[in-house]
Amino acid sequence: MKKNYKILTLKILAPFIAIFLAAFFSSFVILTINKSPLEVFYTMFKFSFRRLDSIAIILYNSTPLIFSGLAVAIAFRMGLFNIGVEGQYLIGTFLAAFVGFSLEGLPPFIHIPLLILSGMLGGMIWAYLPIYLKIRKGVHEVISTIMLNYIAYSLIHYLISEIFIDRSQKLLIRTPKLAPSALMPKLHGVLALFGIELPKHVYLNWFFVIAVLLAIAIYYIVYYTPFGFELRAVGQNPEASRTAGIDKEKVFYKGFLLSGAIAGLVGLSDLMSYFGYMDLDFPRGYGFDGIAVALIGQNDPFGIILASILFGFLRRGAEGIQTLLNVPMDTIVILQALMIITIVIINKIVGDYIKRLEKKGAR
Amino acid sequence: MEKAIVLKNITKRFPGIVANDNINLEINKGEIHAIVGENGAGKSTLMKILAGLYQPDEGEIYVFGKKEKINSPNRAIELGIGMVHQHFMLVGRFSVLENIILGSEKKKGITIDWENARQVIKELCDLYNFSVDIDAKVEDISVGMAQRVEILKVLYRGADILVFDEPTATLAPQEVKELFVNLRKLKEEGKTIIFISHKLDEVLEIADRVTVLRRGKVIGTVFANETTKEELARMMVGKPVLLKLDKEEVKKGDIILTVENLYLRSESGQILLEGINFNIRSGEIYGIAGVEGNGQRELAEAIMGLRAISEGEIKLVGESIKNLSIRERRSKGIAFIPEDRHKQGLVLPMKVWENVILGLHRKREFIRYPFLNVEKIQKFARGIVDKYNVMLSSINQPVEGLSGGNQQKVILGRELSQDPILVIAAQPTRGLDIGASEFVYTRLLSLREQGKAILLISADLDEVLSLSDRIGVMYKGKIVAEFKPEETTLEQIGLYMLGVYTDKDGETA
Amino acid sequence: MDFIVELIASSLRMTVPILLTGIGAVYTERAGVVNIGLEGMMIVGSFWGALGSFYFGPYVGFLMGMSAGMALALIHAVASVTFRVNQIVSGVALNILAFGSSRFLSQVFFKMATTSPHVKGLRPVKIPVLGDTSPIIVLAFILVPFTAFILEKTVFGLRLKSVGENPLAADTLGVNVFKFKYAGVLLSGLLAGLAGTYLSLEHTGMYVEGMTQGKGFIALAAMIFGNWTPYGTMWASLLFGFAESLSFRVVESNVIPYQFIKMIPYLLTLAVLAGVVRKSTPPAADGIPYEREMH
Repeated sequence: MKKNYKILTLKILAPFIAIFLAAFFSSFVILTINKSPLEVFYTMFKFSFRRLDSIAIILYNSTPLIFSGLAVAIAFRMGLFNIGVEGQYLIGTFLAAFVGFSLEGLPPFIHIPLLILSGMLGGMIWAYLPIYLKIRKGVHEVISTIMLNYIAYSLIHYLISEIFIDRSQKLLIRTPKLAPSALMPKLHGVLALFGIELPKHVYLNWFFVIAVLLAIAIYYIVYYTPFGFELRAVGQNPEASRTAGIDKEKVFYKGFLLSGAIAGLVGLSDLMSYFGYMDLDFPRGYGFDGIAVALIGQNDPFGIILASILFGFLRRGAEGIQTLLNVPMDTIVILQALMIITIVIINKIVGDYIKRLEKKGAR
Repeated sequence: MEKAIVLKNITKRFPGIVANDNINLEINKGEIHAIVGENGAGKSTLMKILAGLYQPDEGEIYVFGKKEKINSPNRAIELGIGMVHQHFMLVGRFSVLENIILGSEKKKGITIDWENARQVIKELCDLYNFSVDIDAKVEDISVGMAQRVEILKVLYRGADILVFDEPTATLAPQEVKELFVNLRKLKEEGKTIIFISHKLDEVLEIADRVTVLRRGKVIGTVFANETTKEELARMMVGKPVLLKLDKEEVKKGDIILTVENLYLRSESGQILLEGINFNIRSGEIYGIAGVEGNGQRELAEAIMGLRAISEGEIKLVGESIKNLSIRERRSKGIAFIPEDRHKQGLVLPMKVWENVILGLHRKREFIRYPFLNVEKIQKFARGIVDKYNVMLSSINQPVEGLSGGNQQKVILGRELSQDPILVIAAQPTRGLDIGASEFVYTRLLSLREQGKAILLISADLDEVLSLSDRIGVMYKGKIVAEFKPEETTLEQIGLYMLGVYTDKDGETA
Repeated sequence: MDFIVELIASSLRMTVPILLTGIGAVYTERAGVVNIGLEGMMIVGSFWGALGSFYFGPYVGFLMGMSAGMALALIHAVASVTFRVNQIVSGVALNILAFGSSRFLSQVFFKMATTSPHVKGLRPVKIPVLGDTSPIIVLAFILVPFTAFILEKTVFGLRLKSVGENPLAADTLGVNVFKFKYAGVLLSGLLAGLAGTYLSLEHTGMYVEGMTQGKGFIALAAMIFGNWTPYGTMWASLLFGFAESLSFRVVESNVIPYQFIKMIPYLLTLAVLAGVVRKSTPPAADGIPYEREMH
């Protein structure tokens, strides 16, 4: 089965070629500010991998992206675009924060799962509307989710600055602090058992483990359950699926709500470890990063973990080039956007080639 | 005699297949030259080479004695070669006029010169006795008229050589006659016509000479008046073929499917099915004949539950199924072989074993909660592959890599695995070669012997006539007549298909 | 009376960016290419327009803004027409690229990530009743009948529409499908770039990050509401412009929290689409990449 190895090699190689090309094109942007692209990329590596705690920071950075990538990928599998992960996680994060600061005195093993469930619920609520509008009214989910992102921004702004503002703060606009029982423990303790000592300023926490476990669960759901089977069948040929008796709308509802529930987890790692409250500057853009992560990870859960770590590294490296070389951090935003474009083009080329190879085998 | 087109050693390869293998062909000016062959013999590849859509890998093309390279559709048009495609290449939302001039618009100032175009088209219509409504939207006109629009398109471009790809595939017998009148008129005016078909009767009727292709190669060119149908068939398939099917006498059983007074309207309120009544007994094949687009597809989809009916009743063994979901209807024992297997029958990028359980994936036997029982499913898939002799390299292969016939076998295997009581087969041999078609015929006949009820919908009248126990003819969403095959003729059915007769006594409408 | 004139004038000002981009959307979608990246093309238009005007004056500003929109559109065309990748994915990527590159370059040229200094616009023209008006507003409304004329009366328009309806048919008639799809996409980039430049030079007088506020997406909705026609798009854009301008008056009245007022255009977009989509008819081959050699 030489052909199968060839196909596998191509599939694995494709993201690397895309990353390389994206780096190549973004070099021109770096050149416009009279910096050497090689030096920039070298600095990113050096800054990121010079110490162990830096690697832990990369994993911390990658945590929300794994959730976000999985959420986007689930929708992609059905042939839908969840551009609304952005809004879904903001709503989810807020709901979790609300449960975090309004309930007190609960033991952590109840309080933390409660926050997680609220986050998922928030994401699901915000995912329900676009899928309802799509199925009942025929509104394309891309436009509706984008609109709901803007609405979520305003809504969160209102909730934080008008309703749930922490009155004890004089100058800062933010929610009250989460109860200590609502904070997610860091991984420091466990890692210490293996002789890995992390400093205090690293926030790598159990959400990273949850994200990896979730990715494994999603893998089995997508490939080995009847629901995952339906998800893929509907995504690749809705008409044939319907003819076979699969209720497409039910699959859409279930799949999109699942996507929303996962999206609701995106902001929790930041909320429940680093911040401990939600404010107007709560990180944005994870939803869009998730699209890039899902594409580079080829919608495969394990690919998504790797792509998230790559992006976590880029983020860490961006801090390095900003501090050491005075190159704007936004370089990596450009790099990520270019990666999306190069990966889809290369996937297309490789995909067409593989199709031809497989056709050859049929005769 | 002057040669319109000469092909020398034309070879065209696609990944894994040689579509045209060293083709040599001469087309005389002013003749009607038929090119026949089975599906996959390389006819349409050859045609696309002439149209400038494909480039040959090897060989030379001479047009009116000059060596030419047809490297674009534009070049083909410049050389006077015009295509009349099987699937009409028309823009539905454009008017007939816009469709005809598209790509060859004449300008007046900066705008299109509509008046001139109108004039030229009118003259063409008069010359060739075509009747078309220039301002009608193409999506509203009949198949026959759409084909005349296609012909006008190439004439408007000044084509001298007209290539017709399976022009009669979607036409009713009377429309075919009209087309032949048009073709003869074109020939009289000095046009050269290449007529691609696999219907031997028609070829023998219209063509001067016939070239037979088989597996990408030219088998031979003969004069139409010096050959016979049997000889052409032998040349096409390489061995004598059985044109008659053994149909055993089967005792009819209870009524399985009853359709009563069925109405179906589109979302915009247009009537698609109007008062359909028929039933099918066990051990019976009920054939539906009709020009495509007269409600056959909608009828199958209504029975399957893919479309909600507006009025009427559908019963399976006496029990109403009209409010059941598709899945529930399937579990009551309806199997469906859809018309478009790529769109409705298979999920092409998924593996063969996955396609084999599409729709059956929630059956208890295939589940090991909460997962799919992959081992058991693969065993089941292998069973089907063996039983139906599906040619593949692995059941893990995406089903899109299989040939059309093998894909159809996968669908048959899946649909018949659950021991259905009613089988709806829509265009079950479309696009299949003779071997695969025969396989489908014998399967359908053996289902009939097993006492299944079968609804056969087909645009191929021969197929309907030779398989069915009863035939309903559909016209404009109605079953306008019902026959036993031994009591009718092709011509009679044709008159009903076209709405010339509208009731069983043969009254003219 | 003054109140009404001012309301009309401000509605028109709000309408123009949506209208220009919406007309652009008509060109690209009638050619069969969905362009979610219009938002990004507006963003680069607003940035490069400001940059050009800052250094060389408003005329160069407009030229650079439109060119930037077109450059982004060119990437979209290469990806989605030549390489036939998913048009929505490509569009989303371009939006991110526009955001990132504008932020990056803003730091380089303006030394601030999010705003530019004040930049000059075009000299206003006098219009009866409305008074001083940006020439771009006039241009936007002239573009409506002009586009209708192009689509209905010219060879270019007929061919552009044909590649969006049935590219295979067009191809067999010798219409260069790729050329017309490129033309549609590039025109949409040009117009979105113009709309973006209008925002920074004419509307605000400076570049501000995020100043497009999703207007590129709203323009798409306006085009759908307008059933893919220039006049329909104009009426829909006027509706959005009017709603936005009205919402500002409501903010001043202080009855409703301003965060809710900000939601109005987006809620209106959702409502409009929910009410209208089922009745609208996109070009038959809209969003489907065209590939010639199939076997």
